[in-house]
Amino acid sequence: MAEVIQILILGMALGGVYALMGSGLSLVFGVMRIVNLAHPVLIMAGAYVAYWAARLYGLDPLLTLPIAAIILAATGVILYKLVFEREARSAKYSEMTVLLTFALAMVLEGALGTAFTNTQRVTSPDYATDAFFIGDIFIPKGQLYAGIVSLAIISALALFLKYSRFGYAIRATTQNREAAELLGVNVNFVGLVSFAIGIGLAGAAGSLVSFVFSFFPAKHWEWIAVLMSLVVLGGMGSIFGTVLASFILAVIAAFIGAYFGATWSTLTFFVALFVVLLVRPQGIFGEKPELA
Amino acid sequence: MSGLLEVSNVVAGYGDGPAILDGANLSVQPGKVHCIIGPNGAGKSTLLKTIVGMLKIRQGSVTFKGESLKGKRPDQILRRGICFVPQERALFPKMTVRENLRMGGFSLADKSKLEKRIDEIEERFPILGERRDQHAGTMSGGQQQTLAMARTLILKPEIVMLDEPSLGLAPKIVKEVFSIMRLMADEGITILLVEQNALMGLKHADWGVVLDLGRTLFEGPAAEVLTDPRIQELYLGGKKAA
Ligand SMILES: Nc1ncnc2c1ncn2[C@@H]1O[C@H](COP(=O)(O)OP(=O)(O)OP(=O)(O)O)[C@@H](O)[C@H]1O
Ligand SMILES: [Mg+2]
Repeated sequence: MAEVIQILILGMALGGVYALMGSGLSLVFGVMRIVNLAHPVLIMAGAYVAYWAARLYGLDPLLTLPIAAIILAATGVILYKLVFEREARSAKYSEMTVLLTFALAMVLEGALGTAFTNTQRVTSPDYATDAFFIGDIFIPKGQLYAGIVSLAIISALALFLKYSRFGYAIRATTQNREAAELLGVNVNFVGLVSFAIGIGLAGAAGSLVSFVFSFFPAKHWEWIAVLMSLVVLGGMGSIFGTVLASFILAVIAAFIGAYFGATWSTLTFFVALFVVLLVRPQGIFGEKPELA
Repeated sequence: MSGLLEVSNVVAGYGDGPAILDGANLSVQPGKVHCIIGPNGAGKSTLLKTIVGMLKIRQGSVTFKGESLKGKRPDQILRRGICFVPQERALFPKMTVRENLRMGGFSLADKSKLEKRIDEIEERFPILGERRDQHAGTMSGGQQQTLAMARTLILKPEIVMLDEPSLGLAPKIVKEVFSIMRLMADEGITILLVEQNALMGLKHADWGVVLDLGRTLFEGPAAEVLTDPRIQELYLGGKKAA
């Protein structure tokens, strides 16, 4: 029994981190219909912000999380202006964005690799290697803190979307772009801000990733399938669905990892992605995808 | 004769594509119900989208109270008092009824009025009050159309444009939709209606407009359109106009 609870707790904590990693991707897809394959590499970039702030100035990654978020959000604005704004007017928009973000992911990976080499990195604040013990059960502080911070950020995002005027505009644009525009929403501005928020969330997630996992630029390829499985299972564009999917898959992966070995644990996400696409492509909460 | 809204010789289309409207004309008289009829693909929806600024006017002009709407954005046109309820999907399906109504007042500068106006609308359309916290997408087609039309009233608009409000609704519900439209007209709101069911639309209208191949073929009192033998044959004859 203790073992089951142990695995469950570890799975939940990781699920919280996955949720933050996936929610930005989901937001951007919901509003802009961009399948942003560069999202994981932008999370890596956020992790490097945390890493260098820790290494050069000894700053705690949880403390520099807002800075990473702001730097990445600003990067998001630049990327949007350079790459996506022009593209948004193209008729082949949906098909183009997949290729475009794929190319972007490779360029950013190359840039990160050139700047920071492909050495494995990890930030190691004290709590990253510490744990709480409750009887036989141990809870690694790093994962616990990361999970809690993730949930706090996602809750703030949810409140913002639910109650603020801009949140209404974002939700409206996600659900019916044309109707939102007709009611006076500046949908292009909503697109820009949502994109910036989405990439800012990648930066925040990167700060957490920096002490929960070890990372190097090319690692983002592993993350793509994981994040895609989360947003697809959750229903493309549904942030709540993405969060739920994160917990479900992280817990399943934790159990599979514990009983069958770590290799099989990652496979959980690939299999989930494959099965969901076959059986229920709209995920738990999504509409039928209209990507074509 | 210059109307509240004047569309003259408008040429417009989607993106860089061919001109869909090619010589569209329309003169909208204040307080009247205008019905635009024409076969599938005639450009009826395109005309409404052009008026509200979703499509660029390539040639010709659209003026509202003497002011040109050319080059204006949808939000700017909305603020002048022209509301558009597009064909089929006008709502936010995963927002509640109340949230949908709030979105109707998104462009209101004075937000303090918003909740009060929503309360008024819930009083006038009790079903919307009852369903306040329900997702709009889970309501029946008729209720959704009621919500879409009622939502325009939040802005107290001068012109409401309805694109096929009866689409896909049962005859009894269609009647209700038309009676809501009548209610709006009686309040002095000018109505611009596009109807696939031409007979029904014209019967509820004061003014009829026949649009085909992006061009206005006829404009006149609805009664005249209904009785014109040529229009009858081409557009009202069979149930489905060719
Ligand atoms: N988004 C679009 N992009 C390109 N062409 C379009 C678009 N929407 C409509 N069209 C084209 O414009 C023409 C007129 O379409 P429109 O929707 O205005 O017709 P309609 O009179 O409203 O017909 P219906 O009765 O079927 O609603 C059609 O040939 C259609 O193919
Ligand atoms: Mg139409």
